[in-house]
Amino acid sequence: MKMLSADQIREVVKARSEKRAVSDKKVMDIREEMWNLHDKGEIIVIPIEKKNKPVTVRTLFGWEKKVPTDHLWHHKSCGQCGNIPGYPASLLWFMNQFGTEYLNEPHQTSCTAWNYHGTGTSNPVALAAVAVRNWHRAYETGTFPLIHCGTSYGDYKEMRKLIVENKEVRDKVRDIMHHMGKELTIPEEIVHYSEWVHVMRDRMAAMSKYDLSNVTATVHEPCHYYKMVPEDAIYDESVHGGQRPAPPTALMISLGAKVADYSTWYDCCGFGFRHILTEREFTRSFATLRKIKPMVEEAHSDVAITTDTGCVTTLDKSQWIGKVHGMEFMVPVLADVQIAALAAGAHPYKIVQLHWHASPTEKLMEKMGIDYTAYKNDFMKYLEQIKNGGEIEYLYTPHREMEKYFAVNKGQVLPEGMKSRTG
Amino acid sequence: MICLASPRILVIGGGPAGLSASIDLFEAGADVVLVEKEDVLGGTPKKLHYSLIAPDLKPVEEVLDPLIRQVESSAVTKKLGTVVSAIENGNGHVNVTFTSNGGKEEAVFDAVILATGFTHWDPHKKYEYGYGVYPDVIDFKDFEKMLSDDNLARPSNGKMPARIGWLLCVGSRDRQVGKFYCCRVGCAVSIKQAMEVKKKHPEIDTYIYYMDIRTYGFWEDQLYWKAMEDLNVKFIRGRIGAISKGDEGSLVAMAEDTILQRPSEVPFDMLVLTTGMEASQGTVEMAKLLGLEMEEHGFVRPLEADSLPVHTTVENVFVAGTATGPKAIPDAITEGSAAAIKAFNYVRRSRGKKATGRSMKKDARAYAE
Amino acid sequence: MSILKNLPQRKDEQYPSMIIAGAREHGEQPHELANKIFSEMRGDFRYKEFVLGCLNCGECTTGCPAARFYDFSPREMLQVAMSDDPDVLLDAMQEKIWACCQCYTCNMRCRFGNDIAGIISVMRELAVRNGLESAKEVLKPASRSLLKVMTHGTQVSPDMIQPDFFIDWDPKAVSKTGDLIALRKAIPIDVLQVTDSSWEVSMQTALELAQIYEESGVLDMLRSLDPDLVEMIVDIISDWKDEFEEMKEKFGI
Repeated sequence: MKMLSADQIREVVKARSEKRAVSDKKVMDIREEMWNLHDKGEIIVIPIEKKNKPVTVRTLFGWEKKVPTDHLWHHKSCGQCGNIPGYPASLLWFMNQFGTEYLNEPHQTSCTAWNYHGTGTSNPVALAAVAVRNWHRAYETGTFPLIHCGTSYGDYKEMRKLIVENKEVRDKVRDIMHHMGKELTIPEEIVHYSEWVHVMRDRMAAMSKYDLSNVTATVHEPCHYYKMVPEDAIYDESVHGGQRPAPPTALMISLGAKVADYSTWYDCCGFGFRHILTEREFTRSFATLRKIKPMVEEAHSDVAITTDTGCVTTLDKSQWIGKVHGMEFMVPVLADVQIAALAAGAHPYKIVQLHWHASPTEKLMEKMGIDYTAYKNDFMKYLEQIKNGGEIEYLYTPHREMEKYFAVNKGQVLPEGMKSRTG
Repeated sequence: MICLASPRILVIGGGPAGLSASIDLFEAGADVVLVEKEDVLGGTPKKLHYSLIAPDLKPVEEVLDPLIRQVESSAVTKKLGTVVSAIENGNGHVNVTFTSNGGKEEAVFDAVILATGFTHWDPHKKYEYGYGVYPDVIDFKDFEKMLSDDNLARPSNGKMPARIGWLLCVGSRDRQVGKFYCCRVGCAVSIKQAMEVKKKHPEIDTYIYYMDIRTYGFWEDQLYWKAMEDLNVKFIRGRIGAISKGDEGSLVAMAEDTILQRPSEVPFDMLVLTTGMEASQGTVEMAKLLGLEMEEHGFVRPLEADSLPVHTTVENVFVAGTATGPKAIPDAITEGSAAAIKAFNYVRRSRGKKATGRSMKKDARAYAE
Repeated sequence: MSILKNLPQRKDEQYPSMIIAGAREHGEQPHELANKIFSEMRGDFRYKEFVLGCLNCGECTTGCPAARFYDFSPREMLQVAMSDDPDVLLDAMQEKIWACCQCYTCNMRCRFGNDIAGIISVMRELAVRNGLESAKEVLKPASRSLLKVMTHGTQVSPDMIQPDFFIDWDPKAVSKTGDLIALRKAIPIDVLQVTDSSWEVSMQTALELAQIYEESGVLDMLRSLDPDLVEMIVDIISDWKDEFEEMKEKFGI
C-alpha cells in the first residue's frame, strides 16, 4: 500500500470537515479541585511562575496546559540513566545551549512505578508519598519538576488525582511528609520532558547542522504518555489532524524528516514492566512482530523515534535476537531529543552516547551527513584518557562530596521539624 | 371579547417533523410560517441523500416528497435559506427576526414549534478508526449517499468493494466521547444498508460488528432476521477496537469475537462507521434564543418526557422530532402532528388570557390539566 | 439457590455483578482464602472507582498486547472482578493477572470508563499481600530489582545488565563489564557515573524512601512474599542509618 507521509495525512484530514478540536468527554479537570485544596490550606501547589517562562499548549479536549521552559528540576528515569544515558545527556546539552537554568540532583528517587506495574509490591499511599517527596525537592529548591520518564509522568498524574480526590490518602501522605519535615506539595502541572522538547522544537530545528530530509522516521507513541491520563496529553490539529498526540511527530516535522505511518502505531512496545525483565520471550516477540516489522516493512523506516525509556529499550534491544528467525531489521531506535541533538551537531558519543544502543546507528548518521568515524575515534581517545585518570567533561559543575549524603541547598541542610504550613 | 384572527405559529425546521407540523397546522386553520436554513425542504434525510427508509424500505423520496409537495402547494409561508437570528418572547407574543440573503425581516407569532433536528456525530473524534486518515473508512451517511446514487465504490480507488463491514455505536453509548445514549436507529439503518448491498450485489461479503442489536418492534423480523436468513448478512458480536491498514490497500478491522472469545482480524475493502446522533447546531442555537432547558445528553428537555413530550419548559414553545433526542423518521412525523395540535390548542385557549412566555418547570401538571 | 447461599454477604448492594459462576458442587463452600481475598478486593476504595460495569464489547481485548500471546483478556479480567464467586477471582489471580502489560490501552478504549489495568494492579497487590505461592513463583526473578528499588530507589542499574541475565540482547550492548566503569565516567553527568544504581541517590534520600516504605506498610506487605528479602533490606537501611550519623559528624551537620 502507498505510504502516506504526515503531510499527506494532514491534507486528507484537512479535506474532511471538522477536526477533533474539542472532544466533549465529560471529565473533571482535576487541576481545578487541586487549586481549591490549595486555597483551603490542605496542600501547597507548586506554581509555574514567570521565571519558568511557560508556553501554553492544548491537550486532548482543547484544555490549556502550561509547559515551563526554565528553572527546571530534572526528574530522572531509571532506564534512561541505566542503559540509555545519552537520553538525559542530550536533554541537558540542549538546556545548556539555550541557557536554561536547571538542577540535576542525587536527591531524587524514581517514581517506583516500574516496579509497581511489574510486581504489585507497593500501595497507593507509598506511591503517592514517593511522588510528593520528589515534588517537594523541586519546591524547596525553587525549581519546577520536569519528568523524564513516561511511566513516572503517567503515575504522577494518577497520584495527583488520588491525592486530590481521596482525603484518607491525602492525610496519610501529609503525615508521612511531616515526619520528614516536608509539606504536601503538588506541581501545578505534571510536565513530561517531551512536552518541553515539543514547545522548544523550532528553536532546536533552528540549530540544525545536519539534514534529515533523506530520513524516514516512524514514531512510537509511549502508552503511559497518552493512554494513562488521556486528557492531559498534547494534541495539535496540525499533527495527524489532532487524532494522535503531537509530540514527537511535530518535532520530527520541524527537523525536516519524513514521518511515515504504519499499521500498528497505537500498539504498546511490549515492555510490559514485568515482561522486559522476566518474560522476555513475550517482549521480544511483540516488539519485533508488532512494532519493528511494520515499521521497516510497511514504512521503510530509517529510524524509530519515541519519547520514553521503556520504549527505546524494548524496541532497541529486542532486535538482535531476531536473527535467529532470519529477521534482521536493525533499525536504530532513538529518543526525540537524541535525534534532535544529533541534528544540532552534538557529539554522537560524548553527548548522545550512541554506543549504548544495540541497533546500529551508523547508517542513519551517514544519511544525515555526520562523519561518525571521526567522532568515534575522538571518543575512543577520550575513553583512554579517562581510563588513565585524565580529565572528565561535564555538562554542569559536579555536586560536592557531602551531597552524596545530604540533600543540601544553598549550603544548608533542611531544618528538622520545619513548621508545617499544611494540615 | 373573542379574537377571531387565526393562531400565528412559527415552525422552525423543514425536516420530517417540521413538514408534518406545518401541514396539520395549516389544515387546522392556523397562519403558519415555516423557516428553513437550507434552500430545500426535507431536512437531513433529503440533504444527505438517504436511500431507503426503514421499515418498508421505501426510497426517501416516496416517504418525504408527498409531505414536501403538500407544504409547497399550501398557503404555508415558506422561508427557505433563512435563519432565525433573534427572538423576544413576552406578553404572549413572540417577536422573531429572520435573516436571509435578502436582509432582515421581523414578524410576530403566538407560538413556536421547534423542529431543528439532529446531526450525525463526527467520527474524527474516535481516533482508533482512522476516519479522515484512511479514505475507505466512511461513515454511514456517506454510505447512504453512495447507495442512493447507486455508486458503490471505494473512495481510495473507485473500484467495487468485495467485502464491507459496519461498526455500530460509533459516538453512541460511549463515555470516552461523552455520548452515553443509544441512537435508536443505527442498528436498523446499518442492517438495511447491508440488505441493500446484498440485494443488488449478492457477491459482496457484508459483516456487521455489534455489541447489542436493537431492532425495535417490527424491525426485528423485517430487518435483522431477514438479513441473516434471506441475504446472508454476517453478524459478529464484538466491536472493532481499531482499524488499521492491511495488505494491498485493504483495511484491517481488529476486534474480539466475544462469542468465540478470541481476537479477530479481518481485511475489508470498506468499513462503515454507524455514527450516533447529537442535537444539531440549529437545535442548540434556537433553544438558547428561546430560553429552553436542555437535558443532560444535550437535547431539548421536554416538559415531561413521559406525558408531555412535545411541550417545552417555555409555555408557548413546542418541540417535535430529533430536537428532543434520537428518533426514526416515522416518529418525527408523528411528533410533528402532535406538536401542531398542542400548539394550536394552546393559542386558542390562551387568547384573551395574558400569556407571559413564562417558564413551565414547576406547574407542568397544572398546565396539562 | 444453594449456590447463591454459599456466596459471601455483600457489604454494598451497589456492586455491579454479571456472573454467578455455578461450577461448585452443591453445598461446597468457596475456598477460605478466596473469601478473604474477595472481601479485601471489594473493600478496597479503588474497586468502586475502577469497576463500573461492562457492555462486553471486547474493544479492550482488541488492543491488548498480552491477549495476543497469552490465554488472557482484559474483558475476562473485568468479568472476573465483577463476579460474585470468590473462587473465580482466586483462580484468575494465580496466573492470568501476571500476563497484563499495564499499557493502559484497554483503559483508553473502554467505552464504559473502567480502569481495567488498575483493577488488575489491585489484584496483584492482593496476590502479594496474601503471599500466594503463584505470586512468589512469578516474582522470584524480580527480587534483584526489588532489592534495588527498596534500597536505592532506582529500578535497574548498569551492573545488572549482564549477558547472563539479558542473554537475548545484543552482547555488544550488554557485555561492557570490562570497561563499564570507564564508560559510565564518559557520561557527562556526575550523578550517572555509578554502576550499582541508575543514578547516585543521596543517602538522606534513600533513608527517606525507606521511611515511606516503612510507614506506608509496603515492607509488611513484602514480608508475606519474601521475608528474607525484607530482612536484607532492613539490614542495609540500618547500616546506612549508622553511616548517616557518622557523616553528620564528619561534615559538621
